[in-house]
Amino acid sequence: MTITICIGSSCHLKGSRTIIQKLGELIAARQLNDKIELNGSFCMGECANGVCVKINEELFGVSPDSVESFFETEVLRRL
Amino acid sequence: MNVSLDICNKSLNKKEEELCGDTVEVIKTADAEIVILSDGMGSGVKANILSTLTTKILGTMLKNGETIEDCVETIAMTLPICKVRQVAYSTFAILQLFRDGHAYLVEYDTPACIVIRDGKKLELPYTEREVAGKAIREYRLDIQEDDYFIMMSDGVTHAGVGGMYGFGWGRTRVGEFIQDQFKKEKMTAARLAAAVINECSYLYHQRPGDDTTVVVAGVTVRKDLNIFTGPPTRSEDDEVLMRDFMGSPGLHVVSGGTSATIASRILKKKIVASLIYTDPDIPPTAEIEGLDLVTEGVLTLNRTVNLLQAYNKGQQDEKFFKILDESNGASQLARLIIENSTHIHLFVGEAMNPAHQAAGLPFDLSIRMRLVDRMIEEGRKMGKIVSVKYY
Repeated sequence: MTITICIGSSCHLKGSRTIIQKLGELIAARQLNDKIELNGSFCMGECANGVCVKINEELFGVSPDSVESFFETEVLRRL
Repeated sequence: MNVSLDICNKSLNKKEEELCGDTVEVIKTADAEIVILSDGMGSGVKANILSTLTTKILGTMLKNGETIEDCVETIAMTLPICKVRQVAYSTFAILQLFRDGHAYLVEYDTPACIVIRDGKKLELPYTEREVAGKAIREYRLDIQEDDYFIMMSDGVTHAGVGGMYGFGWGRTRVGEFIQDQFKKEKMTAARLAAAVINECSYLYHQRPGDDTTVVVAGVTVRKDLNIFTGPPTRSEDDEVLMRDFMGSPGLHVVSGGTSATIASRILKKKIVASLIYTDPDIPPTAEIEGLDLVTEGVLTLNRTVNLLQAYNKGQQDEKFFKILDESNGASQLARLIIENSTHIHLFVGEAMNPAHQAAGLPFDLSIRMRLVDRMIEEGRKMGKIVSVKYY
């Protein structure tokens, strides 16, 4: 599975960096490094709903506060 | 040979003085670049007036093609005479670098210019003659890429007098110090000038006994830098912009997410974005095959422009270069602009990013055009030839 996080200007201001960091920690804690690949991307064109995060080709809006629940519900379910 | 000069000068004022008695003037003419350094007698206002007059007279006359004899004579007759000392006096050094690749250097009473070629000191033969009662030294030579000319006032060679060095730092030791600097990975006029002036300040224990000035002029060949930022207003112009941009020789930088997407689409190459934040405030860079640098847009440009501004304000000390050498996108771009270009070509799309108009962001993202204007202004202040095309 590939998770792509937008690092464009708007998403950056809304906290991409924290999300990347938290996702990295969550993946490491569950030893899923070989199952999930993290990737960066420039603007996905959905800035209003950012931070834009894609699981494979599916788009989500995630905030630094919701990243954990996003991981629990959306990411783990799809593995 | 199509040469340009990378020039930087730095001064320390004599302790407790508000004005510097050394003046530097850089003039570009159609066929040459002229660097003039003058050290006025005394210190403070008087010295400042003498050296300013000297550089201005020399600059104006040389620009109009007058001979060195006429220049020196005019100075001798024009400078106001000091009441205390009953003389009018200021030193000068004039370096003329002609675009066809030869150089003419003339000095009157300044420490002899230090010339570096291939990282080593080069002792140049000179001829001495008298002009308007003044003994001047003249040098003629053919220049090469990466030649550096270091002119200085005697405040440099006297640094540390009576302290670290009984009779001061001395030209020989200054030359060795400068040669040592060239062992470092990269050298530019600003880095070298900063290193020399730092050392002088240290040798004077931060209390210079005299006005101290160093001027560094490095010979560089033309280097073109192309920057594409902002999507065109009409998307059918995407291809036009990319053709102009990629068709321009030199290095190619794309700044902005949408711009990078356009470049990627037209070049048919994938964007590989990095997730490594080398600086928490600057989004990571990306890579597109065929481009030299791909960065995020306005946040990066904002930082870059601030670095350019700091550079132009003369804040070129060790701390500045530490920031400039960082690996984030903004420092990388600033480095390319400051140290790796003589000609900058901007390809600017004027479309607004609707997402950037959204309220509630802690930074006004709709300021690209203002950042572009500031980049042009700072680039020109640095002596770069900047051209810009809007789409």
